[in-house]
Amino acid sequence: MSAFASAPAFAHSEQGAAIDFWGGFTHPIFGLDHVIAMVAVGLWGAFLGPPAIWLLPVVFPLVMAVAGALGVLGMPLHGVETGIALSAIMLGAMVAGAVKPPLWIAAVLVGAFAVFHGYAHGAELPVGADAIAFSMGFVIATGMLHLCGIAFGALSHWREGRIAVRVAGVVIALIGLGYLTGFA
Amino acid sequence: MKKRTALALFPVLLLTTVPVFAHSPIMGIGGVTGGILHALLIPEHGMSLLALGLALGQLEKSERRTGILIFVAALTCALVAAAFAVGEALAADVLLATTGILGLLIVTLWTPAYLVWALAAIVGMTIGLDSRPEVASNGEVIQMLLGSGLGAAICLAIVAEVSFLLRSNAQRIVARVVGSWITAIAILVLSLRIVTQMTVG
Repeated sequence: MSAFASAPAFAHSEQGAAIDFWGGFTHPIFGLDHVIAMVAVGLWGAFLGPPAIWLLPVVFPLVMAVAGALGVLGMPLHGVETGIALSAIMLGAMVAGAVKPPLWIAAVLVGAFAVFHGYAHGAELPVGADAIAFSMGFVIATGMLHLCGIAFGALSHWREGRIAVRVAGVVIALIGLGYLTGFA
Repeated sequence: MKKRTALALFPVLLLTTVPVFAHSPIMGIGGVTGGILHALLIPEHGMSLLALGLALGQLEKSERRTGILIFVAALTCALVAAAFAVGEALAADVLLATTGILGLLIVTLWTPAYLVWALAAIVGMTIGLDSRPEVASNGEVIQMLLGSGLGAAICLAIVAEVSFLLRSNAQRIVARVVGSWITAIAILVLSLRIVTQMTVG
């Protein structure tokens, strides 16, 4: 299947960044600040259980895409990097503290942070990209990162696993703090 | 094939699509076969057929089949129009917008039959208008359009019927997630196209 999923590597931007499916797929993966936040969404969803386990990973790409469109269109948004760092801190803290707010609060929080991630990605998207292939790769990679978080978060069914998941939350929050303070 | 395996194959099928090549015929394959492949290998078309199939799969048998018939009727009309070289300027964008709406319907699992039928008509119409191949001979165009119609109709029927069978709680969750991905992709592609048109002209 992986062989079928590969696409020809002929579409490259002038800066050398791939703008095909693979370029879109790797775009969210090569930024640690994005990766930890998206994994944290999955972790938190798994921690909260149904329906949050699927609702949060559904809310995130939808809001992210709308914010990404604003970024692509060049609409101004301030404090994007701060928002991204805060997202890692907050989501990591939620996982670390095993916080279980009402579902709508969790969804609003995740949606709010998705705005910053989506905008940052959108602003970086290359104009003239193979739009459909790039976007498919981009969204699927985001979903896969959520799935990684959910898979790891599934360990929380066991006592030791629960500790591991909460430790992962602490690590995510600390990395976010590093980004916020400029150490990462 | 187990039901869950079949549903898990949907995103994999999405992955296996390749970038659109501005409607050029597939090298070495023409005629009806080329048309069928043409219909299935264009990511926008594949994604919209997946979205429509998933939405139709939420309807009961008679409503679902009516939706498929509406799609086939609209597709046929549009393919005939495409054979006469009717313009397709906005078809791809309308198709993407409709696909995004279908994705939202799947996310919410809110699929009133009349709305899905209307969207099926739009998807059929826009896929048809967006399917005209860039080949010289009229005979070849007609054969490829026929193939495109067959490919799209068969693909939609398969997705709709399979997704109807896969309606357990877990499978509906997978459908919701796929729906959110479809909408997200549609939004991003539309915005990228708008900017590209504004920049390139």
